Amino acid sequence: MRATFPRMGTSWVAFKTLIENLGVEVVLPEPANRELVKFGVKHSPEFVCFPFKPTLGELKSALDKGADTIIMAIDCGPCRFGFYASVQERILRDAGYDKFRLIPLDQADLLNFQWVQTLFKISGKSSFSLYPKFVKSVLYFLKKAKYLEDIQTAEGIFRAYERNQGDTTKIVNSLLHKLDETNTNKGLREFRSVIKNDFEHLDIDKTRKPLKVGLAGEIYISLEPYVNLDIRRKLGEMGVEIYQCLSLWDWIAHKFHLNYHRKWLEHLAKPYMPMDIGGECVWVIGQYIDNAKAGFDGFVHSYPFTCMPEVTARTIITNKLKGIYDLPIIYFSFDEQSGIEGFRTRLEAFVDLMRGRRTKKKNETIKSSIHSNNNYGSHFYQECLKLVQQS
Amino acid sequence: MNKLKVGIPRALHFYRYFPFWKKILEEMDVEIVLSPLTNKKIVEKGVQQGFGELCIPMKIYYGHVLNLITNHQDLDFIFVPRYIAEVKDAYFCPKFLSLPDVIKILPNIPKILNFEVNVKEFPISYSAVELGKQLGLSRSRSLEAYNRAKNYYNQYLSFLKEGAPVNYALRLVNRNIPFKLPKQKTQNDIRLLLLGHGYNLFDTFINLDFQKKLSDRQVDVLTIENMPESVFKTPVIVNNKLRNYWRHEEEIMQAIRYFLTEGRNEIDGVIFLISFACGPDSLISELIMRDMKVVGLPYLAIIMDEHSGEAGMLTRIESFVDMIKRKKKKIELKFQQEKSKIKV
Ligand code: SF4
Ligand code: SF4
Repeated sequence: MRATFPRMGTSWVAFKTLIENLGVEVVLPEPANRELVKFGVKHSPEFVCFPFKPTLGELKSALDKGADTIIMAIDCGPCRFGFYASVQERILRDAGYDKFRLIPLDQADLLNFQWVQTLFKISGKSSFSLYPKFVKSVLYFLKKAKYLEDIQTAEGIFRAYERNQGDTTKIVNSLLHKLDETNTNKGLREFRSVIKNDFEHLDIDKTRKPLKVGLAGEIYISLEPYVNLDIRRKLGEMGVEIYQCLSLWDWIAHKFHLNYHRKWLEHLAKPYMPMDIGGECVWVIGQYIDNAKAGFDGFVHSYPFTCMPEVTARTIITNKLKGIYDLPIIYFSFDEQSGIEGFRTRLEAFVDLMRGRRTKKKNETIKSSIHSNNNYGSHFYQECLKLVQQS
Repeated sequence: MNKLKVGIPRALHFYRYFPFWKKILEEMDVEIVLSPLTNKKIVEKGVQQGFGELCIPMKIYYGHVLNLITNHQDLDFIFVPRYIAEVKDAYFCPKFLSLPDVIKILPNIPKILNFEVNVKEFPISYSAVELGKQLGLSRSRSLEAYNRAKNYYNQYLSFLKEGAPVNYALRLVNRNIPFKLPKQKTQNDIRLLLLGHGYNLFDTFINLDFQKKLSDRQVDVLTIENMPESVFKTPVIVNNKLRNYWRHEEEIMQAIRYFLTEGRNEIDGVIFLISFACGPDSLISELIMRDMKVVGLPYLAIIMDEHSGEAGMLTRIESFVDMIKRKKKKIELKFQQEKSKIKV
């Protein structure tokens, strides 16, 4: 068996470990690119939300490379994502790929442990003989997912301070490579210091006072640089420090009901959105409030064109929260037509706006500045901020 | 004492639940104010309020809400239900889940009268009690109102199953006229199944009254509301894997499943009315389109938005109907030829 799955930004590193440690060969799809998106657009329903199209293209590229099994997460509502696997399967078969098998991985509630059965099914072995492998594969998966998040966190901060444009990106790429290659208990235990160590050696200018911006939105768009036009890098290179808690790890922890940060965001969002309606709606709203209270300079909301929950989040922020919290926000709705030119201009204008606002604020008295706020964000986020100051 | 005044926007689930709402609210002794039929102004207002990426039914909902609050400043409440799940395994579209949240933040909005239906968490009778609470009613009165409304609504549903067109039935409800089927017209020889959300199919303004256009061309139509209970008994499993989880889409796919199998010869084609930017329909229409190709049943998907032009719609319907007519003639001809061959 040769298994594949959509990459979703850097998340493939974790997925790969999960499957490989079960003793199954992995065929990675090509990273999303123009050709693949073109295939996706051609074969997908015209008005489906955008992530459907690049992922369809990715799966096709893996089938072309000889994959015979597609593993695709599903859930059971309320949004469109649950349908992805089934409709994509149908489309691929109609397009002439008729020999693959699709194994849906139900992620609706990871505490019901359906996924255990699915993993056994993927491995094709009896549950008993598999036990040690199984534990290892899940453990490694979780660890790598967490480190991916850490890399993302560090990247978001350090890029705003780098002296030579591109250095951070190089470190990130090499770290991803290293993480992919690390497959021992010891190596994984120590990987956080590898991350810290690499970033410590970055040539930075710590006297800068970069703008702080919260990023949030639909998960695929937020994690896949090809479709979000590499927004994190663009912002970083304009000298903006990024706070993004959304990651694969963040999502998995939530699905295990262990994500207290998300619970906090839900609490903040409650008066405006009392429930999870799919996508990231309720957490985007929560993070907007949270970031505003922490004195951020701005907020970026990205989502696929016509994405139902995110459009709702946008409606609520524009019609209500913007007036209360006054945190500058910019929206990007991405689809196959998103062009880089308009995108850059809008980003630049947004950065200017935030700069202007900060200067103005400085003249008034700064109420709550995050530069003095040293317990905001996750533990690792704080560590990275300290690293910058110590270097 | 004056009755409490409750405004109901004539949009979205109005086309599905109005009889139930009307009955339960009347039993709870409130006065209902209904917004008018959708018109140009309402659409314009709604389009202004909602931004581009919203589906047109949501924009129209905004329009109706705005219409109510400008024309009836004395409303005590505006009825904005939150339909989450009406059966255990299926949700409504995410936009229904958050309806009160996006409405309550509009300027000058009166108090929201919420009716939250979520049988995944609690039975509908509980929802009714909560509804009554907001109006200051006791538990027992609310339950009584609920039971009456439920009975009435069941009668309404059976009336539809007998074949009553939805808009006709809604008119009877609105005017408090007992249910009685309209006089049977003679049957036409083309019969189409119309698919789509009630608020697309029965809002004659936004769909440019396309049902009338069909009947002008001697075409009979059928909607899923008119189909027998038995069709909707077993759930739809997409590709042997996915248990469909959207309430209304489930019904659509069940209906389609029936016509793909047993009911294959009962209809001559299918028209699916889809609103631009509709999440659920974007996916299931794809599945349906592919199934239709397999069985060779004519299929037309009409995507509507606030800019849909009458002329374009008309041509598409005309050519679709003509195509079916030609197809039927061909089959008829073949049949005749075969019959004559047998005679010889
Ligand atoms: S959250 Fe957005 S992108 Fe995800 S399935 Fe729903 S509509 Fe599509
Ligand atoms: S089902 Fe479609 S048309 Fe209806 S509210 Fe949802 S997105 Fe809009």
